[in-house]
Amino acid sequence: MSPGDGTSMDDGNGRQCLVRLEPSEQTVYIAFGGLLEEAITQAGLSVPLPCGGQGRCGRCVVQVREGTVRRRSALRLSEDDIEQGYALACQTLIEGDLTVWVPPHEELVQRLEAGDRAEKAAPEVMLCDHAAKPWVARYQTTVEPPSMGDNTPDLERLQRELARQHGLRDVRPTLAALAKLPTVLREGEWTVTVEIEQGDWAAPDGPYRLLDVLPGSAETRVLGLAIDIGTTSVATYLGDLETGELVDHASAFNSQIARGEDVISRIIYARQPEHRQELQERVITTINALVDEMLARQNLMPERIALATVAGNTTMIHLFLGLEPQYIRTEPYIPAAGKFPPVPAVSLGLHMRPEALVDCLPVVGAYVGGDITAGLLRTGMHEQEAVTLFIDVGTNGEMVLGNSDWLITCACSAGPAFEGAGATSGTPAVTGAIEQVWIDPRSLEPTWATLGDAPPIGICGSGMISLLGEMMITGVIDKGGRIAGHGRSPRVRRGEEGPEYVIVWAAETGAGDKDIVLTETDIQNLLRAKAAIYAGATVLCESVGLAITDVERVLIGGGFGRHIDVEKAIQIGLLPDMPWEQFTYLGNTSIQGAYLALTCREGRAQADELANKMTYLELSADGRFMDAFTSALFIPHTDESRFPSVQRALAEARPERVSHHD
Amino acid sequence: MALSGLAIYKMLPQTNCKECGFPTCLAFSMKLAARQVELSACPHVSEETKTQLDSASAPPIRLISLGKDGHKLEVGNETVIFRHEKTFYHQPGLIYRLADSLDDQEFTHRLDQVADYGVERVGMDLRPDGVAVQDSSGSADTFAARVGQVAGKGLAIILMSSDPATMEAGLKAAQGKEPLIYAADSGNWQPMADLAKKYGAPLAVLGAGGDLEALAALAEQVAGYGVENLVLDPGARGWSDSLGALTRMRRAAIKKNFRPLGYPVITFPGEGSEDPREEAMLASQFIDRYASLIVMDDFEPAALYSLLTLRQNIYTDPQKPIQVTPGLYEIGDPKGDSPLLVTTNFSLTYFSVAGEVEGSGRPAWLLVADSEGMSVLTAWAAGKFDAERIAKAVKAAEVPDKISHKSIVIPGFVASISGDLEEELAGWQILVGPREAIGIPSYLRQLAKG
Amino acid sequence: MSVAMPNVNETWTGKILEVTLGAGPDKGGTRGKTVTVGGETTLPFLHFEGEIPNKPVVAVEVRDRAPDDWSELLVKAWGDSLKDPAAWAAKAEGLGAEIIALSLDSAHPERGNTGAKEARETVRQVLKATSLPLIIYGPGQPDKDNEVLVAAAEEAAGERVALGNCEEKNYRTVVAAALANNQVVIAKTPIDVNLAKQLNVLIGDMRLDRDRILIDPTTGALGYGLEYTYSVMERVRLAALTGDSALQQPLIVTAGYEAWRAKEARTNDGVPTQWGDWAKRAVLWEANTAVTLLETGADILVLRHPETIPLVKRAIAGLMTRAGA
Ligand code: SF4
Ligand code: FES
Repeated sequence: MSPGDGTSMDDGNGRQCLVRLEPSEQTVYIAFGGLLEEAITQAGLSVPLPCGGQGRCGRCVVQVREGTVRRRSALRLSEDDIEQGYALACQTLIEGDLTVWVPPHEELVQRLEAGDRAEKAAPEVMLCDHAAKPWVARYQTTVEPPSMGDNTPDLERLQRELARQHGLRDVRPTLAALAKLPTVLREGEWTVTVEIEQGDWAAPDGPYRLLDVLPGSAETRVLGLAIDIGTTSVATYLGDLETGELVDHASAFNSQIARGEDVISRIIYARQPEHRQELQERVITTINALVDEMLARQNLMPERIALATVAGNTTMIHLFLGLEPQYIRTEPYIPAAGKFPPVPAVSLGLHMRPEALVDCLPVVGAYVGGDITAGLLRTGMHEQEAVTLFIDVGTNGEMVLGNSDWLITCACSAGPAFEGAGATSGTPAVTGAIEQVWIDPRSLEPTWATLGDAPPIGICGSGMISLLGEMMITGVIDKGGRIAGHGRSPRVRRGEEGPEYVIVWAAETGAGDKDIVLTETDIQNLLRAKAAIYAGATVLCESVGLAITDVERVLIGGGFGRHIDVEKAIQIGLLPDMPWEQFTYLGNTSIQGAYLALTCREGRAQADELANKMTYLELSADGRFMDAFTSALFIPHTDESRFPSVQRALAEARPERVSHHD
Repeated sequence: MALSGLAIYKMLPQTNCKECGFPTCLAFSMKLAARQVELSACPHVSEETKTQLDSASAPPIRLISLGKDGHKLEVGNETVIFRHEKTFYHQPGLIYRLADSLDDQEFTHRLDQVADYGVERVGMDLRPDGVAVQDSSGSADTFAARVGQVAGKGLAIILMSSDPATMEAGLKAAQGKEPLIYAADSGNWQPMADLAKKYGAPLAVLGAGGDLEALAALAEQVAGYGVENLVLDPGARGWSDSLGALTRMRRAAIKKNFRPLGYPVITFPGEGSEDPREEAMLASQFIDRYASLIVMDDFEPAALYSLLTLRQNIYTDPQKPIQVTPGLYEIGDPKGDSPLLVTTNFSLTYFSVAGEVEGSGRPAWLLVADSEGMSVLTAWAAGKFDAERIAKAVKAAEVPDKISHKSIVIPGFVASISGDLEEELAGWQILVGPREAIGIPSYLRQLAKG
Repeated sequence: MSVAMPNVNETWTGKILEVTLGAGPDKGGTRGKTVTVGGETTLPFLHFEGEIPNKPVVAVEVRDRAPDDWSELLVKAWGDSLKDPAAWAAKAEGLGAEIIALSLDSAHPERGNTGAKEARETVRQVLKATSLPLIIYGPGQPDKDNEVLVAAAEEAAGERVALGNCEEKNYRTVVAAALANNQVVIAKTPIDVNLAKQLNVLIGDMRLDRDRILIDPTTGALGYGLEYTYSVMERVRLAALTGDSALQQPLIVTAGYEAWRAKEARTNDGVPTQWGDWAKRAVLWEANTAVTLLETGADILVLRHPETIPLVKRAIAGLMTRAGA
């Protein structure tokens, strides 16, 4: 129904209604039953109508402050909103004299976004209550000066006091610490601050290692480094081991990308030992650059970093440690280790205290790595009764299902489509990336929003989800993902690589050189990625005898950027159709989990337990998975009844397409 | 009724001690639910759990064996109504009926036909399973002599006589080969059951005209008498009567766990048809639909071969991805200089590639490499679609004999193997095709332009 | 002793749609006979449980051009009629065919590359030569399919023919032709229940009536993937009967085409003696392929060999006999 039709539907008593528009204080007369949007236009004002006035995008929201209206649709408005008079201008009929607030739209849009989007959960770091002692801690100790009557050597003298004052028995120094000890004791006039490593995951009760000794009561902090080695990017957190406080963070692309975009390419590349070494060097160079950047910013020395905890997929950890990755790839898919021994930083050449330990979080199997162990730790779902599904929407598409009783996991190799890789106009979630799109169903003209409101440079994962949903709803593509709107708009055309849809003409782009498009091939890629994830989730549920509808919460991890548009993700069948509030977007769960294990002894112990407890389900060559995958290769899904909210949206958007048969 | 993995898990110790050979208790319970392991593999289950799980996992259709050791024919133990729900486990036995009244020469000839028949198909040795000796002479001695003749052949044996005395003569002659006794009916069931006990042989219970209630009552009676290794003949014979009876029996056993009908079913397609060809077609129905023993009257190799093939087809594991046979396929009418493309043997991959090539209107050769049923990307990731395998496929399909050029188009997704492939296929030109099948028509167009 | 047999009847909520091929003068066509298939309210031939109002039917394949790759056995059996589609169709009708499946094979770029004009002429001739309803197949190459199927649909306007194959890549054109000329389409997908449903949804989105679609699940021949088709058809049927409205159409299978591609039927060169007599084997290969497809829900079977026709019809008659009748 077009806005213009509203006036002819004059089912009131034909009278004219007076509409006052604030804050501009204009007034217009509109026939009873007319649309708010008409009143606004007639007054020479405007509200955005990105979805073409279809009541889908919620962008045309205004506030009715006085008078009677009838809302045809209140999609996206909460009961609270309605209470307060918020209404969609394109869906609201005037049924009396009104006072309407037409705000500068930014304001309202901001307010609305929280509803349909799972925003990244606020805390970037999770802290435990730190009842347990940190992995590395400082102690200040005053030592009796030696004398002819007490000629105990310096080390034993210190050890004696550590045992007496702090209950730390059998503290063993590193050679570097021992070398400093005599001078520092005297420099500090027998008062020193010691840095002591109190065990590691393999031997949590010791022996204690003396890593450093400083004169007097030093104010330095003991720092730890959490590292997430992703196939595409590497993230690092620098934190205070004693307080858990996050000091700094940095991230960058993994420079291994030059040798292949996915883990398989890299495993293949690593077949020659010198290549394996090159990949190890590349990732360490990437990490060191990030560490240097943070240290420089904080004006700190590498020696202050006393521990590193690393999370990464199984292949990344193998390459990081220089282990042979070949057997991960082929049947029966065996990693070199599940739990990796802590190794001294010096053996890897990381920019930190050479004797400090580097601890890689345990992996579950060849395709479910420490990134998932870490992510799971971050979610805390293993401590709750609610059946939770945790999806890491990355290249490997790993997910975990379960609760405090049981955990099952799988990987479904979704490919990098949602990370912006591989698509003709794809880009990671950086400034200028299109992250939301609406399409007017009649003109097929798009409206888009970019990250940082910069001129568009390409389209990122969340943008593609949004775009795909719109294309389906407006019939630009059919449900099989084939471009179907030929002849309806110049934006639907046959490009060099086949049919495509133009989102932004070259002239309007940031670079100004190329149209931003989504091709049919891109769409097939996206469909495969979303199908793999949805199929993985359903097969995972079925494998334990549950239906996907039995899942009570869905936690989403991954590099989408600021948010994921849950409504659109459901619309394309990436996520199961559940109430929006059941979804939470957590951002990069791997780094957050690694940080938790770094700063919390209990957390690190849990990571081990979790890796042990997770049951791995192998999906490759599983007939059930192939079947679920094929049925998910459709928008939203072959079995549309699994997506009732999408059925409703389709019925509203394309009333002519409603099945008239049953 | 079958329990889900999670339900079983709740009964296990949940310690993940790994002694069962699985990494977690949940992994073990899932295998258990899929009947791929025995409960006894876990040393830590309580007696109580054991009893509970055992009763839940008893097969709804009893496993029956004919014969012994090397020549054992096992039937039954099915767990589903539809093959796609899991799989059909035990192929129905194909048995040929010989009347004991045939003259020596004819009997020997027919027996040898059955015993000597063997044919290979996709790597499997296929043969009929046994012989049913029908008492038509009315003489226990003749019957026994014929049975003795059969007993030396290493075939499964069915003894068909309604007379207990003749039956016993046959059982003696069968030399402990545990033949199936056919059949106990409402009149003679007790002496027949006694024989079954005495000789440790399975017993067929014959109903009348498809009356399943009566059949169930009789089976219950015989089982109660102490003979539990039963095979059922509902007595229905023609196309739709048999289909109805066998379907209802299968449903009763599996969906309702109705024990009195939870036994394998024996059928006689020859008795429900007018001529040998119809017999063979009706036998097909029985392979498709729930028979465990199919007793044929007409021995015709052409028919037997088609039935063996059908049986092999229906009893494959449907959980495996659908595969096409690796080899060189002609799309359109390719000539020696037509392009050569290679892909994997996952059926949907094959269909989409073949479909696009066909749609392009340009004839081409399509080489299907054995990737164990995986799609291009999955196979590549798992090392099942690498240079070595492609080179092997080229050789196995004798490609150079059929094609006059030496260039091969690989899927765009595996562009990275070009180098390796150049090494494996010395002197060949490796072309990287499109990533998606839908790109094939335009790719072939460009290729033709040169 | 009496044992109560549990009730094993299912209560299905769905029903297969009835699809009619061919239209007589009363409906704007010229067919002497029409065929209605579908309407089942239970799984194949379970008379104890539901209705099977229409029996499955046999269609016979006729080509507009003498096939050059057919088995010698087929060529001998059909003789000269192979050269003339009208004569061929008439002969098939005489042998018991209930539908003529006319293949416009000569339109294929490599098998004659004929066009719309020839297609119209062939359709006209065949319509004249037989009183049976028609299925019309294009050559399977999208551009040519578009060209000749549209022409054939127009030529046979009012006759309610089935147009095939309507596949994912060309469904828009074929459906449009069916819509414009009131015809039926054969929706063909490669052995997968999901793909079958997806295509039906796409066709439904173009607003073709649901009872103007036949599902071709793609047939595997005996020994060559028959088990896949078996399971896919069972799943299609189960979905339909449990209420999935996008899969409730009758099923059409090309048993003849597939069986005669199999080496077992096609040739006797260098085959093991255990395979038995060639002629018997070949016909049985086609017939047994058909039997399994019947058991899993085939409503229309497209066959090739004259001898197979009565065999399959006998099986159908047996299966349609109600218990005790
Ligand atoms: S042996 Fe038993 S307790 Fe141990 S892991 Fe296996 S199932 Fe669990
Ligand atoms: S909801 Fe009103 S314009 Fe989109």
